[in-house]
Parts: sequence; C-alpha cells; structure tokens
Amino acid sequence: MPTPALSVRNLRKVYRRGNVAVDDLSLTINEGDFFGFLGPNGAGKSTTIHCITGIAEPTSGTIEIFGLDAVKNYRDARRLVGLCPQEFNVDPFATPGQIVDWAGGYFGMNRAQRKSRVDYLMERFELTPHLKKSFRELSGGLKRRVVLARALVHDPRLIILDEPTAGVDVELRRVLWRYLQDINGDGRTILLTSHYLEEVERLCRDIAIVNAGKIVRQGTKAEIAGAPGGLENAYLAATGAEADHVAGQ
Amino acid sequence: MSGAAENLTPMGVNWIGLYTIVRREVQRMMRVPIQAFIAPWISALLFIFIFGFVLGSTMRTIGGHRYIEFVMPGILMMNIINAAFLQSSSAIYFSRFIKFVEEMLVAPLSYLEMVVGSIATVVLRASITGIGILFIGMFFGATTIESWPLFIFWIVAVSTIFGLAGILVGLWSKSFEQLNMPVVFFLTPLSMLGGSFFTLKMLPGWLHWMLWGNPFFYFINGIRGAMIGVDEAPQGLSVALTLLMILVLGGTVWRLFSRGYGLRE
Repeated sequence: MPTPALSVRNLRKVYRRGNVAVDDLSLTINEGDFFGFLGPNGAGKSTTIHCITGIAEPTSGTIEIFGLDAVKNYRDARRLVGLCPQEFNVDPFATPGQIVDWAGGYFGMNRAQRKSRVDYLMERFELTPHLKKSFRELSGGLKRRVVLARALVHDPRLIILDEPTAGVDVELRRVLWRYLQDINGDGRTILLTSHYLEEVERLCRDIAIVNAGKIVRQGTKAEIAGAPGGLENAYLAATGAEADHVAGQ
Repeated sequence: MSGAAENLTPMGVNWIGLYTIVRREVQRMMRVPIQAFIAPWISALLFIFIFGFVLGSTMRTIGGHRYIEFVMPGILMMNIINAAFLQSSSAIYFSRFIKFVEEMLVAPLSYLEMVVGSIATVVLRASITGIGILFIGMFFGATTIESWPLFIFWIVAVSTIFGLAGILVGLWSKSFEQLNMPVVFFLTPLSMLGGSFFTLKMLPGWLHWMLWGNPFFYFINGIRGAMIGVDEAPQGLSVALTLLMILVLGGTVWRLFSRGYGLRE
C-alpha cells in the first residue's frame, strides 16, 4: 500500500486557555489527491493545518507527511509542504519579489533556482507589473497571488491552501483553479479549505467535513455530494444545521 | 515512505536559509538607515562637540586622557547596546505582530539557525554603528585604538548579549509599551550609571557596589581598555562574565525557540 501524502492520527489541540480546537481528528490524504477540507468558522480547519505545518504544536496525536513525522523529523517533512495561509502573514513593506525570493531561500534554494522560480511564478500569477510595489500597496487579489506564489516557490509535493480564494475576484479564481488543476495533474497533492462549496465540488475528489474539532463526514465527492441537495445539503446536515435552514428546501 | 520522501537528500545545516534570514533583516534594516546608523553617528558627533569642544578645556583629565577620550568608549558602547537591543527586539516583535514569523516556522529551519541568523544581523548592525562612531571619534581626535582584536571582541560579545536579550523581550512583549519598558527601566539607567561618564574613584566608597554590581560597567571598561588602555575592571573577570552571559542568554533563547514560546500557537 503506498504511503499517503498526509496521515493525521488522533490529533488533539488544546490552546493554553483550555479551548479544545481539534479533538481526536484523523485524516488520510493519498498522493496525487485533491482533497477538500470543509467546516464552519472555528471548526478546527486552520488549527489542523497549523499543526501540520508547524505553526501550532499538537497537544497529542501524530502527523506524517509522505511517511515523515512532522514533529520529530520536522525539517525534512516541511521541505515537502507549501502553505498558503488564510491571513496575509507577510512583511507589508517588502515587494512581491522579495517575499517569494526569501521563502525560496528559507527552503534552501540557491540564487539561480530562486531566480528562475520567482520569475516563473511572477509571470504565471501576473505579478510582473507589480514587482516594485510594496505588499501593502497591492489590492486584495494581488496580495492573495503573492502568498500563493510564496507557497509554491519550492515546488512542494503537498500544497495546503487555507481559503485561497477568499476575497478574490472571479477572474483570479479561475486563473487559480486552472493552475491548481494543472499542478494536481502533474502529481502534486492538494489540501484545500474553502467556504465556496462550488469551488470544492468543482476541484476536489475527496472531501472531509469537520465540525467542533472532529471529522463528521468523510468520503469521495460522489459519496458526499451525490445525494439529493448536493454538497450544500450534505455540508449543512453534517454540521448540524436544521432542515429548514437547508438551501432550496 | 513514498518516493517524495525517499528522494530527499538528508538535510544538514540550512546555510542558504540562515543566510536568507540575515539578508532579509539587512534589507529591512536598510529601509530605515537614518534610524539604524545616522542617528547614533549624529549622537556621537554631538557628544564630541559638547565634551571635546565646548566643555573640553574646563574638564579634568582622567588617567592622562582628556575627558572626551575617557567618555567616547562609553558613548560608543551605549550606542552598540541600543542598536543591538532595538534591532533584535523590534525584528522579533514585528514579525510576531504581523505574523510573518510563520514564514520561518513552516520552513526547514532549525531553531538554532533562526537564533544564529537573527544574532548575526544584530552583530552586523552593531559593528557598523560602533566602527562608524570609532572613525568619527578618530577623525576629530577624540579617541584612539589600543587593541583591534579586543575592540572587535567587545563589539561582537556585547551586541550578542543585547541581541539575545532583545529576542527575549521581543518574544515576551504583547504590546509596544512592553517592548520599550526594558529600555526605559534597565538599558538607559544601567548604561548611564555604568561608568560611561565617571570613574569608580569619583564615587564615594559606599556607592562602589553600584558599579561592581552593574554588568554594563564591565562592558564599558572592557571597550575603554581596548580603545584608550584605561580599564578599572579586571579584564579576565569582564571577559568571563561576558561569556557566561552569552552562554546563559543563548541557552535560554534557544530553549524558548525550541518550545515555540511566543512563536507557535
């Protein structure tokens, strides 16, 4: 049986004030999958992602990235992951080129590798005309492109996108979808969280729905979205919404 | 393990990552050259003007040296301490506040590499500040240099200490008010009372403890010995105390980084 791209077992995260954000969450994502990770605000999606990528420390449980322990062997594990976070965690006075170039440097890419990759990503995400602007001068959509380019600079095998299209116009959303489908076609594994159900339905092959820190439904897109009412119905039912709240009923 | 992990070559020291931390901080520092370098150089010029030119003839000599020659090492050390502390505390606090510290947390960087990268930038900034002040002093005949190796040692060692202290404060602070507290309550009083402007002998005997118990006294005297050869504190004791402080602070910072204190959720 092939090693999964991501294996999370019995993950629990309790914050210092006792708030249980993730509770006994288990998740497996196979290599090459396009995986949708859904849930309402505060359900534990971002905390799970933060535990996987090293921003948060798991209270208990194990996380393996391509078989590498994400806590004990964190340096090698992180080389395989690219994170596009929900928030713009960027030096606001730096330029797009600097931000992406520094990220490449942190991942150990030499100057020539960084230059070629930064040029490609700037071109691909239409950031070239904005190279000399500081991050804070960019529009919301352009900022989103920069953090996405940063996540992809080291060409990671597992790409984690935490609401990458939040606040983004339709045009960029489509550019982004095409790009994600391309790199997924090349064998990259993608974990996507989004509040846009049509986006998840369009892109993902497997879906997990999380609520109150636990996985409440998991399966293939056909299993979850195939029933009457589609993904929206399944999502609302899984997250505990009343029947009369379900759209279309 | 899958192909993706099997193809990885084992990771040694992430030299490029470490260099990138320094490069990023230098680029950040160069956005504010007036604050980083020009301000301490102008402050040194003003001290030279006041103590060397305006008050020079009215001040007594100390150990055969003019008063301006006596105070220049203290002024230089105060600026190094400020530069080192402000560089590291503001860098770490700002990166936590804006959350771009997460860029490093998700990267294959060890905690030691993060600490060494931050301190290397601090030492660079403090060295440029210190050597600039030295040259200004030499240009106006306000100071000399007795020992370059000792001078370099004191700049590197003291900037490392205050760089590490700045990291601790930057990790601990939850507001800009807290970030500035150590400067107001510790750095400024201890450096002013650490023998920058007076000798041990100028104080009454019952106040000598104020200098012997003040670590700044050893730093200021150390660099004074390197610059004009006047040193009231035993060199061996000063060096040992300084190295011990680096060891204790370095160990504390590394431990806090590895626990993710103030950095990870």
